Amino acid sequence: MIDINYYLLTSAVLFSIGVAGVLIRRNAIVIFMCIELMLNSINLTLVAFSAFLGSISGQIFVFIVMTVAAAEAAVGLAIVIALFRNKESVNIDEINILKW
Amino acid sequence: MIDSYIPIFIIFVFAVGFGIVMVKFSSLFGPSRPNKEKLSTYESGIDPVGTAHERFSIKFYMVAVLFILFDIEVVFLYPWAAAFLNFEPVKMVYSFISVIVFIIILLVGYLYVIKKGALKWD
Amino acid sequence: MTIDQFLLMKNEILLIAIAVIVLIIDLMTDNKKILFPVMIILFIFTTVIGFIYQTDGELFGGMYRSTPLINMMKNILNTGVLIILLQSAGWLINKAENHENIGGFCFILISSLAGMCFMISSGDFLMFYLGLELATIPIAALVAYEKMKFLSAEAGTKFILSAVLSSGILLYGISILYGTNGSILFKDLNNSVEITNLQALAFIFILSGIAFKISLVPFHLWTADVYEGAPVNITSFLSSISKAASVFILLILLFTVFINFSEIWNELLVYLSILTMTIGNLFAIRQQNLKRFLAFSSIAQAGFIPLGFIGGTSLGASTVLYFLLIYVFSNLGAFGVVSVVTSATGKESMNDYNGFYKTNRGLSIVMMLSLFSLAGIPPVAGFFSKFFLFTIAAKQGYYFLLFIAVINATISLYYYLLVVKAMFINENEQPIEKITSDVYAKLGLAICVLGIVFTGLFGIIFDYINTLSKGI
Repeated sequence: MIDINYYLLTSAVLFSIGVAGVLIRRNAIVIFMCIELMLNSINLTLVAFSAFLGSISGQIFVFIVMTVAAAEAAVGLAIVIALFRNKESVNIDEINILKW
Repeated sequence: MIDSYIPIFIIFVFAVGFGIVMVKFSSLFGPSRPNKEKLSTYESGIDPVGTAHERFSIKFYMVAVLFILFDIEVVFLYPWAAAFLNFEPVKMVYSFISVIVFIIILLVGYLYVIKKGALKWD
Repeated sequence: MTIDQFLLMKNEILLIAIAVIVLIIDLMTDNKKILFPVMIILFIFTTVIGFIYQTDGELFGGMYRSTPLINMMKNILNTGVLIILLQSAGWLINKAENHENIGGFCFILISSLAGMCFMISSGDFLMFYLGLELATIPIAALVAYEKMKFLSAEAGTKFILSAVLSSGILLYGISILYGTNGSILFKDLNNSVEITNLQALAFIFILSGIAFKISLVPFHLWTADVYEGAPVNITSFLSSISKAASVFILLILLFTVFINFSEIWNELLVYLSILTMTIGNLFAIRQQNLKRFLAFSSIAQAGFIPLGFIGGTSLGASTVLYFLLIYVFSNLGAFGVVSVVTSATGKESMNDYNGFYKTNRGLSIVMMLSLFSLAGIPPVAGFFSKFFLFTIAAKQGYYFLLFIAVINATISLYYYLLVVKAMFINENEQPIEKITSDVYAKLGLAICVLGIVFTGLFGIIFDYINTLSKGI
């Protein structure tokens, strides 16, 4: 039995990598991958807590998060296709017509 | 606790080290006589056509997106199916109806996808 | 489980049924225009049922709650979406390129509404998260709806990237809260949440996730771009319905789960409120595009809402709900006029509205009433809602906040009147020609005007909401 802190630390590190990736990377597809990484690190937290507490709701939460992540990816990728058709690029630095 | 994982860590280090050593040694001590035929991508296969950075057709993308959506439903069906026989009879009927409603909603979505022609390959 | 218990979820079940029926009709028929009236009738039916058949209780062991206050909020949301559907008729039916997509549009809009209803009546974080995502993801599809227009696709990308990031952060907060308390039910958390470092972190994550949806100021950067790029009706949906639903769930979370944190969130909300009002106003002043202007004004409006949260009183809760009710009507009125003008002429700039009163009397009077209500000028309803919010802050002794809020209300008066002046006083050689709007749009605007005028005049509405809000 591994101490729960290791799981939490791992997932916190993964979550931070994901957030940093979203903020730093410039390719829309890579940003979606980073968001996916964030969601999966949260899943790790939930499962770890669920095992630690002996309560099932964390694992059920993980199912829901997986589904939602799939839906997000599908809609997000569809929108990126629409963007690519208009602009021939998925680099978010070039998406700058709308700004204040 | 974590101490018990130290042997695994040692094996891990050995495995990686062994791999690196073998690859390095063979390139250091082995004979190297390259020619054009040997350097081609598929040495005894068909000559490659075009570059590897070609764009894929949008059709692959559509199928992939739809696959993600309809694939994930199994996440809900599998636990239900695994637990189904342990339910008491009233709950069995109730959960069966719930899943049927779920499937019907998905089915309407699937028919919509077909009608819109998202799965048409030509 | 009996049928009675399922009737608690009647609103959501009906909405999902409508959505599926719309899809089925869309599959069967080739004449898509038929779809729209059918859907309007079904939707009116749902809205009316929501008003006449009230229930309260719990389902699924407390995962789903229904109280009179939640029913009231659902009725507000239903009415708002009805108005939006009526307003979007012109855009959907009169333009040939949109005919193919009427079914999809209605389906996505209604599923988003169903998500909001699940979200506001959630009794635990699982239902809350699921409802939030069901409300958000369809909106992203709607924002990018005119997929051949670059602006729309760009706005959609910005929206989905920032929405998903914010909901990820919110989810991390939920997971920490689950780990520290061992439960995700609101009523369990109510007793066990206490101020420790980890739980404070979770609270901040959850608050920022919801503040993103309401676009309170440090989290508002997506708002203006998305509002400008999206089709007008979606902008009005985002700025009124989506915002109202998120405010309501924030209210429930703060007053039930995080009630032990009240010292922390009182202080935080004061800062958020001041920042939001001020920055929203400062940016609204310099906008020339009417849609963008309304976007920033709606950020500034959202800044007034936290005034009602302060102190965590049930009177505050009913004031917030009252404010939301009037805000939905006034905002939809203003956006309705913009939507009619945009779908007829394609003009969005403020200068195009010079001399608008000469050619379109009815529309400019509706616009004037809505803007007066947003600004809070006495005869119309907006005055009362803002006044009540100020009273709540004054009762709790937050005079500095009150001072800032009054100054901001005055600044906002300036720029709202700027638009009114453009319509009524400014001269223009080529004003927008006479627009004859269709029946649907007229009906929608009429509901807005009735709401703006009568909600303020009858004090009984506020009393009614106040009696409901006793048991949040």
